[in-house]
Amino acid sequence: MLTGFTAGLLLAYTGMLGLCLGLERHYRQIWQQVPPAWLRRTLRAAGWLALALAFPACIQAWGAAMGPVGWFGLVSLTGFALVLLLPLAPRLALWLPAAGGVLWVLLLGAGLWRGEPF
Amino acid sequence: MSGNRTFRQSMSWLHGWAGLLLGWLLFAIFLTGTLTVFDKEISWWMQPELRDTGVDQPTAARFAQDWLAREHGEAAVWSIGLPTERSPVLKVSTGEDRRAERLVLDPESGARVPVRDSVGGNFFFRFHYSLHLPRTLGIWLVGLAAMAMLVALVSGIVIHRHLFRDFFAFRPVGSRRAWLDGHNASAVLLLPFHLMITYTGLVIFFLIYMPAALDALYGGDRMAMLREASPGAQAVAGGMDRGDQRSRDGASAREAPPAELLPLESFIVPAEALFGSGMVASLRVRHPGRANARVEASPLLGSRIALTKGEAAVFDGVSGKLLQAPAEKRPSALTQRVMAGLHFAQFGGYPMRWLYFLCSAVSCAMIATGLVLFVIRQRLKVAEANAGQGFLRLVETLNVGTLAGLMLGCVALLWAARLLPADLAGRAGWEARLFFAVWALAFVHAWRRPPMAAWREQLWAAALLCMGLPLLEGFSAPSLDKTRLLLELCVFLCGAVLGWVAWRVGKASAADGVSRSLEGAMRC
Amino acid sequence: MSRRLSLPPARRAWLDVALRVTAAVFGGYVLTYAATAALARLLPLARFDAAMLATLLSFALYTGFVLWAFAAASVRRVWLGIALSLPLAAVGFWPVWFGGAS
Repeated sequence: MLTGFTAGLLLAYTGMLGLCLGLERHYRQIWQQVPPAWLRRTLRAAGWLALALAFPACIQAWGAAMGPVGWFGLVSLTGFALVLLLPLAPRLALWLPAAGGVLWVLLLGAGLWRGEPF
Repeated sequence: MSGNRTFRQSMSWLHGWAGLLLGWLLFAIFLTGTLTVFDKEISWWMQPELRDTGVDQPTAARFAQDWLAREHGEAAVWSIGLPTERSPVLKVSTGEDRRAERLVLDPESGARVPVRDSVGGNFFFRFHYSLHLPRTLGIWLVGLAAMAMLVALVSGIVIHRHLFRDFFAFRPVGSRRAWLDGHNASAVLLLPFHLMITYTGLVIFFLIYMPAALDALYGGDRMAMLREASPGAQAVAGGMDRGDQRSRDGASAREAPPAELLPLESFIVPAEALFGSGMVASLRVRHPGRANARVEASPLLGSRIALTKGEAAVFDGVSGKLLQAPAEKRPSALTQRVMAGLHFAQFGGYPMRWLYFLCSAVSCAMIATGLVLFVIRQRLKVAEANAGQGFLRLVETLNVGTLAGLMLGCVALLWAARLLPADLAGRAGWEARLFFAVWALAFVHAWRRPPMAAWREQLWAAALLCMGLPLLEGFSAPSLDKTRLLLELCVFLCGAVLGWVAWRVGKASAADGVSRSLEGAMRC
Repeated sequence: MSRRLSLPPARRAWLDVALRVTAAVFGGYVLTYAATAALARLLPLARFDAAMLATLLSFALYTGFVLWAFAAASVRRVWLGIALSLPLAAVGFWPVWFGGAS
C-alpha cells in the first residue's frame, strides 16, 4: 500500500509541477527566462500525463472505490505544497520529485526485500 | 446594497458578509472536525493508563466472556468492545444503555484497569456536529453554518473565476498580498475538498434538515421510509427485526430456559466473513446464558467508503447460526451512506486519514485568512471614512478570540487531561469546563489588549502549550508508546508553525504595522 | 412602496439588506421545502428513491436560491419567486391536502 501511495504522491506532485511550469510566469520564477511555446506545451502535457498516471497508483494503494478519493486529495495537497514552496524555495520545489524518486526506489527495494513488491 | 450593482459585485458582497458572520462558527466547526480525524488517538493520549498489550481478538473475547459471566451473569445485555488497530484495548459494559460506562479489562493480568474519566477525542467530535449545545439546536446551527459555507464557496468561485487560469500564484512579498494569495490558493486548489466536505456534512443529517420529501411521501414517518431502504431486509432464517426483539426483551428474558452460550470467540470468524478480515469492532450479547441468546457483531467503520454505523450481523448465541446479515441497501440509500462515509473519513487507513487531516487543516487556513482579509479591508475603509471604529474593534476581537483562542482552548484541553487529578469527581466535566473557560478568557483578553498584541500573545501561548506537550509526558504517568509519541510530535510541529506565525505577526507589527498594512490592503 | 422611497438612502439600503436576508434564509428554506416535496412527487422513480434523490439535491437548490436572492435586481422579484412555493407545495402535498390516494 505504501509503495502505491508514494508513487501516487510523487506522480501527483510531478504533474502539478509540470502544469505550473507550463505557465510562463512560473517558468520565469525558476529560470528567469521566457520559455518557448513548444516547451510550455510539452511541460503541460507531461503534467497531465503524470496526473493521469497517479490515478492507477492511487487505485493500487486504496482500491477502485477509495482510490479516486485519495487521488483528489493527493493532487490538491501536492498542488498546495507546491504553491507554498515555489516563492520560498523555487529550486527545492523543482528537485523535490527527484529526491522523492530516490525515496520511492528505496521503499520499493524494501518492499521487494520483504517479499511484497508493489 | 443597491439595485444597480453588477452580478459580480453582489456576489462579492455576499461572499464577504456570509463569510464573516458565519466564518467564526465555521472555523470552530472545521478546526474541531480536523482534530476529530484523529479522535481515537487523542482519546488514547488523554488516558495514559491505557496500554497496548497486543492481545488478539479471540483471546480478548474469551476473557471478556469469562469475566462477564463471573461478574455480571444476570445482566440482560453484555457489550464487548474488542481491541482494534486504533484502540487496542478490551472494553466491556452491561445493560441496554449504549453510553453506559465502559470498563477496561486487561486479559494479561486478568484485572480491571482503572482509567481516568476523560472527555477524550470524542469532545471534538461532539463539538464538531452540535457545538456542545442541546443536540437539536446545535445540529441546526451547524447546518446553517454549512449552508453559509456552500454559499460562500459558490459565490467565491463566481467572483474569482480568473483564478482558475493560474492557481499557482502566491506572492508572499507585501505581507498583506500574501494573505489574499494564501486565501485564494487554499480555496482554489482544494475546492473539490471544500465542496465535498461541506455538502456531505449536510447529507449526514439530511432528513433532519430537509424533511420535505419525507413529509410529502411518507407522512413524516421516518421509520417507514428507512424500512424501504433495503429491499431484501427480510431476516435470513427466523431472525427478527431488532426493534421487535427489543420490545419483547422484558417478557422473554426471564422465561427462556438456561442454555450454554457458545464461546464468543467463535463468532469472530463468521463475522469477519461478512465484514472483512480484522473488521469486527464489537460484540453485543442479549440474554447471555439463555436459550434465546443473540450475539450481534458490529463492523469497524472503514471497511468500505459507505458509512456502516449502526449495522450489525445477528447470530443465534446457542447454535451459532446466522440469523440476520446486514441488509444490502438500495442504490439511492447507498449513495447517501457513501456521502456520509466520505465525510466521516474512516476508510483507507492512516494514509487517507492524513490526507483528510491536511486537507481540512487547509480549509481552516482558508477560513482564517478570509476572516483576516475582512479586517484588513475594513481597516482601510475605517481610515478612509473615519467612522466605524467600534465595529472594526469588535470584528478584530472576535477574530483573535475565535482563531487563536480556540486553538489555545484545544491544547489546554490536552493539558487538562493530564494535569487534573485522576480521581477527581466529575472529571470529564471539569475538562470540558476548562476548555470553555480558556476560550472565554481568550475573548476577554482579545478585547482588553491592542489587536496586534492580542494576536501575538495568544498565538505564542498556544505555540508554547503545544511545544510543551512532550514535556508533560515526562512528569506525568509513564505511558509513552508509538501512538502517544507520534501525537506529541505532531502537536509539537503544530506548535512550531503557530510560533512561526506569532513571530511573523510580531515582526510585522513592530515594523510600523498599521501603515504597511494599509498600503498592502490598497494593493489587494 | 412610496413610503420606502421616501426613506433616506442609508436606511433604504439597510431595509433592502434586511429584506433580502430574510427572503434568502427563510423564504429560501420554504421554497426549497416545497420544491423538494414537488420533485419527490414528480420524479418517475420508486417512492424511496424519489424521496432520497430529491432530498439529496435540496441543498444545492437552496444554495442556488440564496445566490439568486442576492443577485436579483429587486427584492420584490425575490419575494415573487418565493410565492412559487405555494403551487409547488400543492404539487408535493396534494394527496395529503385533498385526501386522494397517492
